[in-house]
Amino acid sequence: MTKEQRLKKRHAAEKRFRLYGLTSILVALVFVLILVNNIFSKGSSAFMKTVINVEVFFDPELIEIENGAPEENIREADFYDITIETLLKAYPAKNLDEENELIDLFTTDAEIEIKKAFLENNNLIGKKINLEITASDDIDQLHKGNYPRNLPEDRRRISNFQLKIYDNLLKNNKINKNFNNYFFNNGDSRDPELAGIGGALVGSFYSIIICLLLAFPVAVLASIYLEEFAPKNKITDFIEININNLAAVPSIVYGLLALQILLATIQLPRSTPLVAGITLALMTLPRIIIPCRASLKAVPPSIREGALAVGASKFQSVFHHVVPLSLPGTLSGTIIGLAQALGETAPLILIGMVAFVVDIPSTPIDPSSSLPVQVYLWSESAERGFVEKTSATIMMLLSFLIVMNFIAVYLRQKFEKRWN
Amino acid sequence: MSDVKIKSNNLNVFYGDKQALFDVNLDLNEKEVTALIGPSGCGKSTFIRCINRMNDVIDICKVTGNIEIDGVEINDENLDVVSLRERVGMVFQKPNPFPKSIYDNISYGPKIHGKGETKSELDEIVERSLKKAALWEEVKDRLDEPGTGLSGGQQQRLCIARAISVNPEVILMDEPCSALDPIATAKIEELIDELKKTYTIVIVTHSMAQAVRVSQKTGFFHLGKLIEVGKTEKIFKNPDNKMTQDYITGRFG
Repeated sequence: MTKEQRLKKRHAAEKRFRLYGLTSILVALVFVLILVNNIFSKGSSAFMKTVINVEVFFDPELIEIENGAPEENIREADFYDITIETLLKAYPAKNLDEENELIDLFTTDAEIEIKKAFLENNNLIGKKINLEITASDDIDQLHKGNYPRNLPEDRRRISNFQLKIYDNLLKNNKINKNFNNYFFNNGDSRDPELAGIGGALVGSFYSIIICLLLAFPVAVLASIYLEEFAPKNKITDFIEININNLAAVPSIVYGLLALQILLATIQLPRSTPLVAGITLALMTLPRIIIPCRASLKAVPPSIREGALAVGASKFQSVFHHVVPLSLPGTLSGTIIGLAQALGETAPLILIGMVAFVVDIPSTPIDPSSSLPVQVYLWSESAERGFVEKTSATIMMLLSFLIVMNFIAVYLRQKFEKRWN
Repeated sequence: MSDVKIKSNNLNVFYGDKQALFDVNLDLNEKEVTALIGPSGCGKSTFIRCINRMNDVIDICKVTGNIEIDGVEINDENLDVVSLRERVGMVFQKPNPFPKSIYDNISYGPKIHGKGETKSELDEIVERSLKKAALWEEVKDRLDEPGTGLSGGQQQRLCIARAISVNPEVILMDEPCSALDPIATAKIEELIDELKKTYTIVIVTHSMAQAVRVSQKTGFFHLGKLIEVGKTEKIFKNPDNKMTQDYITGRFG
């Protein structure tokens, strides 16, 4: 082979290699785009809800309270009659069946919404107001275009009569789309139009805080001791191997461990962020120790020697120089560990966080859900409305993860010092 | 003839199974520069790292024999290495300023030894140390800038200033100019000449010329043994040992 041929061959090989690389990146990008597109197209509609504009008349004959009544009285008062009266006015119904179908167009919480409007303005007795009542899940999905209208009636959840009402309301501009406050404020619910991630958000928040409080100090001190002070012998080698192995243990194993020790033996309350936090801390510990040790190891020995040579003790050289320099790596390692913990589902299912929790937890020892478990729960539900809720929850989870990872990168770049 | 400051007696150093120094007996005189020369891996650095017990950092390193400073044994388990290193400063082959401000680089040592109680005391120590290291004029307006932003030669003088900030008696220099260009080297050598009025200095160097220029006494190491030691002039003009002769004339090494 001549020199020219060899050169040509080498260039061709380089070109081929670059092509392989580009192809792989393109394939990866396509997968990511498919995923993101799928989640966004399904989930973005969950941030809006369908409302039906109705006229509420606070008929003094139907309510047993007067203007200016104290708040407790209003809360206890019965608004059922006035609610039914209001909903029935939306469209003329001829018989009881039709009346029921008409009422089914609205959310089951219609009475609460009317009461809330009354509470906000405490002198409405005898007056009429226009109010936007949340529509039921079926109408919500129909209005968002997720519901096929052209099926035969017996295979639809919405009857022909209901469709007629819907079309009429739409023609009269009575149907609108509003920001879905329930999605962020409410706990779980059997009714998709009322279900929200409020409980899961608070639960996840408590779990992650407990996980951070437990895992961060232990992991940092363990890595400082192992890296800087511990003698290098068989025992520390053994510990190091085990930490690396623990980081690779499937997370469900930690769930089993927590089930046995925290719930069965110590009898901590089930399904609570406290137990979740402890479990996640156990799982995250080795995953934080590894980057912490790596960032300690990355501090050049010359810094340690420089400190020792001016007469710093071992302790001083570590805590005045090595640890501050390793801090960016330590912090970003911790945040990435926490981000993993935030998305963890399997161990939480084992400790009972799959429970159906309507109330938003006020303390870490109240039963609660968490974001990834909420995704799992809703993905199993039959109602159409939960499909968009599932994707929207994934969007929330992903945005938290992206923010956390961004903070990690930012910390590392901002505080990383350069040395020679 | 000046007084003997540091005296080593049958010093042996082992790294695991490997012996790095064999029965080294070497006296270093007060307020004098002693140069240690020899091919790489011959034990020069190991020797000076015994003087401030820097070898303690290495787990597998074992030191036997005696080293005395002012007649006090320092190779002693019960000796406080922190106060030893306060008396014996060290400058390394590669400049290693802390990634902090110039001011903090110098004030760190005095601070941990309780030598500068007040800000004005510290200011004074920083100024005095930087002046002694001939760096004051270059950095006095930017003391709060990072020490790592200086040029290589300035960084090395900063490290020298850091070493003298705690007011030691001995300064060990482990090839302090090997990473510097000739102009920076000349500055450091001038500085060493000045510093020897106050401090006992031990310098490891690969440059024969540098040893001739800065030192009064020279020791030649080979394969962990001290082959020959004597006045610098004598070692370079008329060595007793054939191996020394071969090394300084460049026949090996």
